[in-house]
Amino acid sequence: MRRNVTAAMIAGGIVLMLVGYLGAAPWGADTVANSDPRFSFAPAVFVIGVIVALSAALVYELMPDRRNK
Amino acid sequence: MATQIDTHPTALPQQVGQLTTGWKLAMGASFLLLVVGIVAFIRELSTGMIATGMRNVGTMGGASWGLYITMVVYFIGVSFAGITIAALVRIFNLRQLRPIARIAELLTVVFLLMGSLAIIVDLGQPVRGVINLFRYARPQSPFFGTFSLVIAGYLAASLIYLYLGGRRDAAKMAEYPSRLQRFHRWWAAGYSDTPEEQARHRKTSFWLAVTIIPLLVIATSTLGFVFGLQVGRPGWYGTLQAPAFVTLAGVSGTGLIIVLAVIVRRMVHDKTALGIDVFAWLGKFLLALVIVYLYFMTVELLTLLYSTPEVEKQLSDALLFGQYAWIYWGSVALLAIPAIGLMWQALTRRWNVGWLVAAGIAVNLAAIGKRFLIVVPSQTHGTLLPYEVGSYSPSWVEYGVVLGLFGLGALMIGAFVKAFPPLPLGDREEVTADA
Repeated sequence: MRRNVTAAMIAGGIVLMLVGYLGAAPWGADTVANSDPRFSFAPAVFVIGVIVALSAALVYELMPDRRNK
Repeated sequence: MATQIDTHPTALPQQVGQLTTGWKLAMGASFLLLVVGIVAFIRELSTGMIATGMRNVGTMGGASWGLYITMVVYFIGVSFAGITIAALVRIFNLRQLRPIARIAELLTVVFLLMGSLAIIVDLGQPVRGVINLFRYARPQSPFFGTFSLVIAGYLAASLIYLYLGGRRDAAKMAEYPSRLQRFHRWWAAGYSDTPEEQARHRKTSFWLAVTIIPLLVIATSTLGFVFGLQVGRPGWYGTLQAPAFVTLAGVSGTGLIIVLAVIVRRMVHDKTALGIDVFAWLGKFLLALVIVYLYFMTVELLTLLYSTPEVEKQLSDALLFGQYAWIYWGSVALLAIPAIGLMWQALTRRWNVGWLVAAGIAVNLAAIGKRFLIVVPSQTHGTLLPYEVGSYSPSWVEYGVVLGLFGLGALMIGAFVKAFPPLPLGDREEVTADA
């Protein structure tokens, strides 16, 4: 269970980073007006993704094993 | 783990919870600095950025990035070295450096917070600035990496690292009744030092360290790119900016770790807790970094002096012989003299802690000087448009705010070392009953 939650957090964090990065970086836009993020607060999504992925370490250490309960 | 349980109040190890006169005086002075900083910042908020010495580049003959940005770069640089040393201790299992790992992590967290605040005070509209950053920051800009990786990722990683690394000692401290017992119990979060927990912690800290190292190299390099990618700004545009940023970050951070380690050693009244071998290692590491940085400075100087275009010539004259010469040559001296001293100690293998502290302080003053020279002269003397040469002098408001940031940092470090052991508890350290 602990390993699964940790893996899910790392994967979820990476997905959020990708969504945030691609949302904040409108590649291909060739004018200033089109270079705004594709959705508001996309950079915040990227930052949350970084924090979620790193917080997986907390879960891995703090979450008890089921057999130890 | 300690086995002696007592219901009486206890004297915790490493002076934790004991507010000595020296500590109170130091905290009082730090608090005063913080008050000065708050007053100065209120002045800046109420009158606007005109209260600072910063002015528009070119049209107003000033610099729009001044002392605050200088300190941002310096603070983040210090934090870089702290977490690097802490991570290297874990990855390469450097046993002799384990005692300073927590000090290094603490320095990282505190200086990152100070760096974040230094960015905020540089904004004319701080709230709007912070919100718009999360709303509109563009990954094509190096600022995105600086804010997202340095402020968010790097700070989160450092806090997690510090927290997880302290759980074992928190569990030890929580076994004994004290005013801080609840805090230590919260930090320990059920840690009981079983072999499974130890193995899990080793694995977590190793992988965190492996993650942190590239993250922080990217983050600090990105900070260098903020300057190094500006094509139209002589003195900034260059390939050496990022590696030089990382190296000088290492120099300033290692110097401050030495200073803080000596303060902690005196505070805990136990010279064996931090032996001379630790300081010898730090001294050699500092020496290597200073030599690499001096090499970068020499290359930079030769490039500036060789077939220099007009604006670059104007900039190099200002740096070497003009209004910034005293900062430039002062910084060179503050790097070169400690380097000679460190080399002498390394060759004779006789390390002197007092000299190391002096070297640590000197290289930090040099780092602040060099950061100032990176930030300011290219704005006052490096405009490609036909503007007159400008000038920049920080106002009392800027000095006040920066002093306030140092006061805040000292308060945070002071509070931490009285709430939690700054050095990892050894097995020999028992919590003893108060007389």
